Amino acid sequence: MALKHVLVVLGLAVVLSAAVFVAGAASKTAKSGDDPNNATLTYWYWAESDAPGANNWLKGQVALYEKAHPKVKVNVVLQSTDTLTSAFTTAAQTKSGPDIATQWATLPTLTPAWAGATVPISDYVPKSEWKNWISTAENMWEGKLWAMPQYLIGIPFVWNKQLFKKAGLNPNKGPKTWAEFLADCKKLKAAGITPFGMGNHGYGGAWFFSLIGKQNLNSINELKDAMIGKQDFANPKFSGFYQALADLKKNGYLNSDVASISFGQGFQLFGQKKAAMSWGTDGNVAQWESQVGAKNMGVEAIPIWGHGKLASSYDVTQSSDAFITKWSKHPQAAAQFLTFLHSPEALKAWYKATGVFPADKRFPSSLVKDPIAKQLLKLDQSPVSVWPENFVPPQVDQNADLAGGEMITAGSGSPSDVVKLWKTQLSQWKSQHPDEYNSYKKWATGS
Amino acid sequence: MAFAFGFPLVQVVRDSFYAGNFASPIWVGLDNYKGVLSDPAFRQSLFDNMKLLLTVPIMLGIGLAIALVLNDRIRGGRHYQSVVFLPYVLPATAIGIAFSFLLQENGVLNTSLRHAHLGGLAQDWLGNSHLAIVSVGGLVIWQQLGFAVVVFTAALLSLPPETAEAARIDGAGWWQLQLRVLVPQIRPIIELLAVIQVITVISWVFNYVYVLTAGGPGFSSSVMELYIWRSFSNGSDGTAASVAVMLLGMASVLIGLSLWVRKQKIVQ
Repeated sequence: MALKHVLVVLGLAVVLSAAVFVAGAASKTAKSGDDPNNATLTYWYWAESDAPGANNWLKGQVALYEKAHPKVKVNVVLQSTDTLTSAFTTAAQTKSGPDIATQWATLPTLTPAWAGATVPISDYVPKSEWKNWISTAENMWEGKLWAMPQYLIGIPFVWNKQLFKKAGLNPNKGPKTWAEFLADCKKLKAAGITPFGMGNHGYGGAWFFSLIGKQNLNSINELKDAMIGKQDFANPKFSGFYQALADLKKNGYLNSDVASISFGQGFQLFGQKKAAMSWGTDGNVAQWESQVGAKNMGVEAIPIWGHGKLASSYDVTQSSDAFITKWSKHPQAAAQFLTFLHSPEALKAWYKATGVFPADKRFPSSLVKDPIAKQLLKLDQSPVSVWPENFVPPQVDQNADLAGGEMITAGSGSPSDVVKLWKTQLSQWKSQHPDEYNSYKKWATGS
Repeated sequence: MAFAFGFPLVQVVRDSFYAGNFASPIWVGLDNYKGVLSDPAFRQSLFDNMKLLLTVPIMLGIGLAIALVLNDRIRGGRHYQSVVFLPYVLPATAIGIAFSFLLQENGVLNTSLRHAHLGGLAQDWLGNSHLAIVSVGGLVIWQQLGFAVVVFTAALLSLPPETAEAARIDGAGWWQLQLRVLVPQIRPIIELLAVIQVITVISWVFNYVYVLTAGGPGFSSSVMELYIWRSFSNGSDGTAASVAVMLLGMASVLIGLSLWVRKQKIVQ
């Protein structure tokens, strides 16, 4: 009886092992048999915050693609701004989740690549195709391209001409320098108008870092050096902009609720005519144009504050991008779908849906008719462009860049307190992520 | 049981001694613990959890007072009880979002105060680093109060009526009846609820903080759970694990205390 029992258990074990083996083999076969025209893809997508209308555009493109490829199913899972990085970090750790994911460019995209969670898209898309994509340099590592850009986000400065006129300012002349900006702020405040509108429950301070903080640098490599300790972040060259932000707050040039409203709510202030000046994405400008009226708003590059070579650079980035995960069983199918999103019809549909320029050289600029949009396209095509936040390690970005900006606008920390915070966080990043730090160092030094 | 509870527990303790990512962990010994203890953001998070402990006596005091009044069979008592209990059944996330609009500098609360010529009381409830954690505490009290009222009311209803009746015949006034007769009889329940609420504010406040302030401005309203989440979302699994171990230790002590209180109640 006992022997029979043992045999039954052994038999069950053999059957289970065989089942596991067969399942594993089937899984391997599925990956090796990656058919671009027969797959179910899961796409974690984010873009709506940058480009209102993006979600509907993707929905439409998926429908078109599935119609043309009946055996392909694309499941789109919309992602939120707050959890974009954390959700993918968790997926990467468990090696399961989407076939295609969205992330912000450069470090948020490269760090998962360094950790082996993604595959280079240039392994699946021919160069003849991706050479048409714009801003690919943001996601290059070891000679390979790791993500596909979809659109370009420039960050222009805007002012409300009616409110300028009300304050006795020349409505057709926006501030070109920081001194002019402060002079305009003073007059606007005296007229009872909120000079500059922003929300800093989140990213407001981080934008200030990218737009103003970079202006004392001669190249982005200097910032990389500060991240790995080759240069001191306490040097005013890197952190002096915090005093400029603190002064804006102290002088009452920011909206009184800057510390308690969200980043998104901050954008609404300009559209609601509650602030005379602001900055935002090309998508925000398109929205403001419909609220304020094209003739009532001026658009230009960010006023010049610093003295470095980057002071005159424009702020444009692909913002978010799409990449293929290492665990996807259908990388070919994923690449083919992503390539489809750069087809001429898809690019035109994108622009029509969002008013944001596609990151593709094949996009015909003749489609841009609106005068403000033409101005934005010209700015986005500036020869030197950079978005410094993309070069800050995600951990440091969240715990020092975002948190430090909040401390300044809440009045709970001085610029020197924030510099201390940066240094603590940089040191913690180094000790908590020795692997990531070493990869960053290699990437930064090109060694 | 061992797999469901033991394995994750062992794994978390093990992870707390490693740095890097799951794929290629690096042994760092006690460095994660040292790093966490020297991190001002962690100390602030721990301090904020301690500040939130102040909500427990406030909540229990108000909850007990309401329960005692409702126990007097006042007219519409059940209706009031439902109203007080309502916030407890609402999702913390929804409440957090609603309060975030309510408490902004130019939100509903401050606007109402200004309209009522009480502008001096208007504060930047979420944007002021000193008030942000107070706002979180207020929200915790507001939502958890209903639970306290229901528990105390149930305890009071379960008391034998003879004791109160005898006290009344002996000439006890309303206050004497409440404070010297009824409250002492439900003391074990009060102690038990106090322990449960302490555990709640130590390890169950993530939702409120995340939705209302996200730990800001800066780290001024961060709590340990949020610190764990931030660390984990940054890929600092070892750091997250080390704080989780510390939090587990604190919660274990409190759970032990809770069990002891229950035991005392059974003995009584």
